[in-house]
Amino acid sequence: MKHPVIPPDDRFKIRCRKLGHQVAFSYCRVENQGLPCAKTLDCWHIHFPVASHLKKELTPDQWHRAFVSPGRPKMMTLLDLIEQAKRAKEEGSK
Amino acid sequence: MEVKKIFLPESELPRQWYNIAADMPTPLEPPLHPGTGQPVGPDDLAPIFPMPLIEQEVSQQQFIDIPEAVLEKYLIWRPTPMYRAFNLEKHLDTPARIYFKNEGVSPAGSHKPNTALAQAYYNKISGTKRITTETGAGQWGSALSMCCCLFGLECKVYMVKVSYQQKPYRRLMMETWGAKCTPSPSSETNAGRKILEKNPDSPGSLGIAISEAVEAAVMDEETKYSLGSVLNHVLLHQTVVGQEAQKQMAQFGDYPDVVIGCAGGGSNFAGMTFPFIRDKINGKQVEILAVEPASCPTMTRGPFAYDFGDTVQMTPLLPMHTLGHSFVPEPIHAGGLRYHGMAPLVSQLILDNLITPMAIPQLETFEAGITFARTEGFISAPETDHAVAALIREALKAKEEGKEKVLLLNWSGHGLVDMAAYEAYLSGKLKNYELPQEEIDRALSDIEPLPKPKQYRK
Repeated sequence: MKHPVIPPDDRFKIRCRKLGHQVAFSYCRVENQGLPCAKTLDCWHIHFPVASHLKKELTPDQWHRAFVSPGRPKMMTLLDLIEQAKRAKEEGSK
Repeated sequence: MEVKKIFLPESELPRQWYNIAADMPTPLEPPLHPGTGQPVGPDDLAPIFPMPLIEQEVSQQQFIDIPEAVLEKYLIWRPTPMYRAFNLEKHLDTPARIYFKNEGVSPAGSHKPNTALAQAYYNKISGTKRITTETGAGQWGSALSMCCCLFGLECKVYMVKVSYQQKPYRRLMMETWGAKCTPSPSSETNAGRKILEKNPDSPGSLGIAISEAVEAAVMDEETKYSLGSVLNHVLLHQTVVGQEAQKQMAQFGDYPDVVIGCAGGGSNFAGMTFPFIRDKINGKQVEILAVEPASCPTMTRGPFAYDFGDTVQMTPLLPMHTLGHSFVPEPIHAGGLRYHGMAPLVSQLILDNLITPMAIPQLETFEAGITFARTEGFISAPETDHAVAALIREALKAKEEGKEKVLLLNWSGHGLVDMAAYEAYLSGKLKNYELPQEEIDRALSDIEPLPKPKQYRK
């Protein structure tokens, strides 16, 4: 059987290990602020040639940001978010 | 008639949480602040967490007393029962003795309230009025909603919009417990508004929802934030599970050869296994299995051959069922993404060889969940099915080897609010596409020059 060259449509859903329920590829494709979720290749590669498909759609920089940049530990993410929120709070009080 | 389940008396509820940080062979290095490069201190986290939780996050104390007010409320569902899975044993025709600890009996249906309750309590005594958090499908959001309600705190849950639309029952559970549940991105925060300006139809993500929840906590002095996985204090609170399990196993007159838990953010896994890892550090023979999802069907389609464990070819050659190290696109393993979402404590214990990770594909997990439901009756949460699948593999392995192994599973939650996932499986919608043979051949050609193990087979 040949692999389809385009992503399955939204009727086909797989379980998202981050959210804990079924999602379509169209969600994974934009999950990371318009870029694909970092787990997209891992989750979808058995369903269609996702890497080839996304390599055609993404620039090298986008590909790098989506898949190659190492994930950050949760604590680092929280500290970044605290700093961002503190800055927003200070700007709001000026 | 043999004993099917053991309920500990309330007097046997553990009075302390076990802190594995005190016993780590390789202590965790303190996280460095991304802005200053200095070790993270209490002041860095104070905008979002109350001080008692920050102290627990960095504590090296081996046991930490559980406050009386938390113990009183734990009694709503704790101690949880442990079962001997006679029916599953019979079905599998295995000599293994199988036990499972049922954490699905909490009001929210999972292990998550074990930490939600503790976090709500410490916030309450620290003067917090409101707790914010993020949630996807809603297991964590519902647990925190219930526990805030029990301590008279407001709870604000930013629920990823796509989940909010798809999981109305979890949302209704949260609202029943008095929480305010808002689809994220929302117009209530700077983070949410920025996203909506760019894309009013954004389906949201956990990353956006976390940004909103943290911002809401930082903006209001009476509001704090709560996380349900990954962090040290979260794992600490879950250790009531494993400590109860040790007492129940003793009452059954057994001790596990293998302890199994599913490991996403690591909290249910840590809760069950850390007390047993303590035994292991002190010389007990016990294998600890951390089960995670895998989408690559290497076991069924690939030969048993030597392969590199990673795509950058740094790890030693390992005999394994393989489709070749280049089959999974390089960035997945090269970037260390496999464990990046896992708790640092769990990751370090894997590196110290105290925990064995195992990956199981989606279809096998649902098959296992169905088998479990049709033998033991309980319908597992889909995450829990990963551990059930590993349990079944271990039970069948014991059968092959003719060994009377003792297997212990953390049955971390029921799936009664997740039936859509079962519907997808039962209706065949989860059926994988067949891999084209040419793609398999291409991947396998990469490992062709490598040496073959003695038991090499195509």
